[in-house]
Amino acid sequence: MTAIQVDDLTKQFGEVAANDGVTFDVESGEIFGYLGPNGAGKTTTIRLLLGLLKPTSGTAHVLGADIRDRKALTATKADIGYLPDTLGFDGRLTGHQTLDYFARLHGDERREELLELFDPPLDRAVETYSEGNRRMLGIVQAFMHDPKLVIMDEPTAGLDPLKQDRLHLFIEEERQAGKTLFFSSHTLSEVQRVCDRVGIIRNGRIVAHEEIETLLTQSGKEVWVHLAEPVNEKQFVTDEMIDVEVVENAVHFTYTGHIQGLLEHLVQFDNQDLEIGNPQLDTIFKHYYREEDTIPET
Amino acid sequence: MTAILRNEASRLLRGSLVLTGVFTLLAAMYYPIFPGFAADAEELEAAFPPELMDFFGIEALDTIEGFIAAEMYSFFWVLLIGIYFAYISAGTIAGDVERRKMDLTLSNPVSRESVLVQKVLALGVPLIVLNIGVIVINVVGSRLIDEPLSLTPLLMVHLLSIPYLLVCAGIGLVMSVVMDRARSAQGIALILVFTLWLIDSASRLDADYEWIGYLTPSRYYDETAILVREEFAYFDAAVLTAGFLVLLLLSTALFLRRDI
Repeated sequence: MTAIQVDDLTKQFGEVAANDGVTFDVESGEIFGYLGPNGAGKTTTIRLLLGLLKPTSGTAHVLGADIRDRKALTATKADIGYLPDTLGFDGRLTGHQTLDYFARLHGDERREELLELFDPPLDRAVETYSEGNRRMLGIVQAFMHDPKLVIMDEPTAGLDPLKQDRLHLFIEEERQAGKTLFFSSHTLSEVQRVCDRVGIIRNGRIVAHEEIETLLTQSGKEVWVHLAEPVNEKQFVTDEMIDVEVVENAVHFTYTGHIQGLLEHLVQFDNQDLEIGNPQLDTIFKHYYREEDTIPET
Repeated sequence: MTAILRNEASRLLRGSLVLTGVFTLLAAMYYPIFPGFAADAEELEAAFPPELMDFFGIEALDTIEGFIAAEMYSFFWVLLIGIYFAYISAGTIAGDVERRKMDLTLSNPVSRESVLVQKVLALGVPLIVLNIGVIVINVVGSRLIDEPLSLTPLLMVHLLSIPYLLVCAGIGLVMSVVMDRARSAQGIALILVFTLWLIDSASRLDADYEWIGYLTPSRYYDETAILVREEFAYFDAAVLTAGFLVLLLLSTALFLRRDI
């Protein structure tokens, strides 16, 4: 089943298309990473999915509800948790009162269990909270009614590394319990670590929509070579090598061809050391954010 | 679903109590001077230009009803409390949108209509607190100086002011769904209510232009007529109620269409 189905979703703000024909889907029971730098259009997509913004054209279905059908979408929200990037809590309420407020709005079957993992100072007014404490309160609020789908916008922003790990682990457990998790991030390592699939958005357009594994294998190999002599770029570099960086005897590049071809090429040189590995997602990610004409096919 | 209503109501309670306190201070200032003032009221009325009396709708200053209508209702209640209702309503949606509180609210299974209605219902808190508070203040104040106000006109001056205050709130509400910033919404609502009051007051000065005043809400609420002459204009109250409903429907329609 599809938890989120986005079809040609477009949102214009005046002349600017914050989302331009965005199309992707999120399966039930998966962790989907929505990746892009700040300003790429991630938050716009999320706010469209929640009916906070009206699409200029195209549409999306969230848990079966068309986002243009206000009534259906409102009813569906009982099964959705939302952790926004900016947490607009009522500052004069304490943490307890804030959670009581959200309990009245959407229920709180899991409040106590969540507070053992994420523990903001509940007796203090939220306006005195640190960024990390606000985020923890937001996490509890987003999961406390045990929703089927949780949409998170930069969920680890402001959390200390320990709590970030805790959230990643928690997300993983939720997925195993059958929940669908959609989260946006500009932090690649985070997405690579927890997500099953990823959508990459650039200037309002989806430039990749893949499983993480596929994305990694299709994106070639990351290679470091140390030669005995300074590298002669003209002789060494072939068409299959991209992102080539040469520093004296060492060369680092991404190889997009067959590995056999690379080895046959390398034996012509006096190799001192060699390392071939899968590229990190951020290496791949860089490709999508270089000039349009160098975007690799996926 | 009353979570939003409860949240808003508790937010508005403090301001309502503070304003009731302001009225207590006003009463403490005005009631003690009335006995001395009443004796000179005729001379005073003669000394002031009649235009000024018309502007503020003042008459019968030598009676406790006329005095209180002039000192407490024609300015403080009609203008100040009118502006207060416009101001709090103007902040209600725009403020939540600006602080991103609305994102969290609308991510719940609650419709935009319900959000708006609960926010309007929460205005019941200042309406009840201020009306009951000021009635009690006036009953006690007038008895303390042994000039008891008649109860029926006192109750009616408050009851019939509710539609007027709701129209002021409606003006604020429309601004609140149109503007993105609470400050702008509140500023415009405040200026609008003040300007409408000014137009009404100024239009009374010239018979040729008096009709313009019929486009302003304060024309449909005459505190002096109610307190001094015991004239209860139910039709005018109905006009104001209809006006409020139109503003409420307009703000709902605009709120349903807007991006937040």
